[in-house]
Amino acid sequence: MKTILHMQDVVHRYRDGDEARTVLSGLSLQVGAGELVAVMGPSGSGKSTFLSIAGALLTPGSGVVTIDGTPLSGLDTRALADLRLSKIGFIFQSANLIPYLKVDEQLRLVSKLSHADAAGAARRSDMLLERLGIRSRRRQYPDRLSGGERQRVAIARAWMNDPPLLLADEPTASLDEERGAEVVRMLAEGARTDGKAAVMVTHDSRVLELCDRVLKLQDGVLAPA
Amino acid sequence: MFLALRELRFAKTRYALIAAIMLLVSFLVLFVTGLARGLASDNASAVERMDASHFVLQQGSEHRFARSELSDADRRKVEQAGASEATPIGIRQFTVTHGGGDAKLDVTMLGVDPDGWLAPRTAAGAALAAGGGEVVADAGLQAQGLGIGSVVKDEASGRSWTIAGFVEGASFSHTPALYMTLADWQSWRGGEPAYTAIALRGASSETLQALKRDSAFELLTKAQAVSAIPGYKEEQGSLLMMIVFLFAISGLVLSVFFYVITLQKTAQFGVLKAIGARSGYLARSVKLQVLLLSVSSYAVSTGLVALMQLVLPDSMPFRLTAQTYGLTGLLFVAMAMAGSLLSVLKVARSDALQAIGGAAA
Repeated sequence: MKTILHMQDVVHRYRDGDEARTVLSGLSLQVGAGELVAVMGPSGSGKSTFLSIAGALLTPGSGVVTIDGTPLSGLDTRALADLRLSKIGFIFQSANLIPYLKVDEQLRLVSKLSHADAAGAARRSDMLLERLGIRSRRRQYPDRLSGGERQRVAIARAWMNDPPLLLADEPTASLDEERGAEVVRMLAEGARTDGKAAVMVTHDSRVLELCDRVLKLQDGVLAPA
Repeated sequence: MFLALRELRFAKTRYALIAAIMLLVSFLVLFVTGLARGLASDNASAVERMDASHFVLQQGSEHRFARSELSDADRRKVEQAGASEATPIGIRQFTVTHGGGDAKLDVTMLGVDPDGWLAPRTAAGAALAAGGGEVVADAGLQAQGLGIGSVVKDEASGRSWTIAGFVEGASFSHTPALYMTLADWQSWRGGEPAYTAIALRGASSETLQALKRDSAFELLTKAQAVSAIPGYKEEQGSLLMMIVFLFAISGLVLSVFFYVITLQKTAQFGVLKAIGARSGYLARSVKLQVLLLSVSSYAVSTGLVALMQLVLPDSMPFRLTAQTYGLTGLLFVAMAMAGSLLSVLKVARSDALQAIGGAAA
């Protein structure tokens, strides 16, 4: 199994007033293709920091992060943006769709940013929306969608550029049990069938059975739950 | 492009409102500019159209033609200083009657050499003849019922002149100009002092220095002569202030509008950056919106001003040339782009990190 996300001895401190607070103290993690890993932890345990570092949004104080074979150290902000665009698919807590784009435009924006050809993007967007069962909603603005539909659009957007790594930030937080399970099942199936690595930060214990591994973030390191 | 246009489409009301403000401001800018140009022309076109670089006036006249009196000896002195292309002129504001003495007209009488380089180029009728007894008038007088062959009269001296032709755009201090021959001018004014001023062109810098040093004369440039016309500076100054303020207001209004919108969208920009949009792409998107709004509002307002010009009375001093339209437009758009700078900086600083942890909405 190919390792997609590789984190080694990641340490990160925040300056909190005068004292430095250590959030991550030597965290290591490897996620392979086809695997869905859940990361649990109480609030304030550093889940957001962990996800920001894994998602190339935040540079850790020390340690090594490699995504699909590319080490992140030394990349400038533009190179990091380009890497996020091609290698990482994000699914945020409250979907975070762009309010003025229709559903299919949310997806086409991603291919537009990576200068992909328009016809191929339209085909892929249709295919993804079909697969997630929201193709009939493709000409709607986000404010006309239900919470579950929005989160499915967010998944489709994350898949759009076919990135090897998917990162989900509490994707079920705003959904009821049934919708939440549905969304996680889609993530897990997507990871397995397309051979993607997926990491989901969650404190929704109802969906853990759908994950391949469940880890707990405590005292700045990850341990099996 | 992709984001900018779709956002305009989605938030139509919001952007239509700001476009309406821009439209009104740019309309006002064009209107005041047209008025300023029109008044300037009404005030000084007789001097502006002269092909002269400098004027020699009597010492102590404080740049005013009305206060200057030069003799023929002065003219020779100017020529001796090395000014080869020097031609004397007479300028006097005056009231004449026409139509058999019933109607009075405020005019500016200009005495020029009919064969010299200040002779008016007539647009209609005959040129100024050396024979005398004739004048060439500003075409604006046609609206007052005067035509070729009409007679204007100075009641005091009993002299009268026949209008031989018309020139376009020749007025001085908001009065129409009447050109007569220098010989007529001198006999009408009674010999000495012979002239008001001496116009120069192509004079060498040594000549100009010599004239400047001469205590009998005042040497002024054409621009100085124009701004010394009574009321010219005051008129243009206050209109220019309005124009400058309008430009500043348009820049500021746009700046505030886009800054507030950008602040509202900070979280959204964070999400876009998180999914891989570069700051440059997002900044370009904001700039494109500003460009679209300012260019389209300006285009519509030029149309409205052109329509309004059809309705304005001919006597209203209003003048906009294609060049003024273009220059004003460039300034307007540049001002708008400067106004977007604050937002662009804000976009550049918006942090992709906000997208994680549910902080973004």
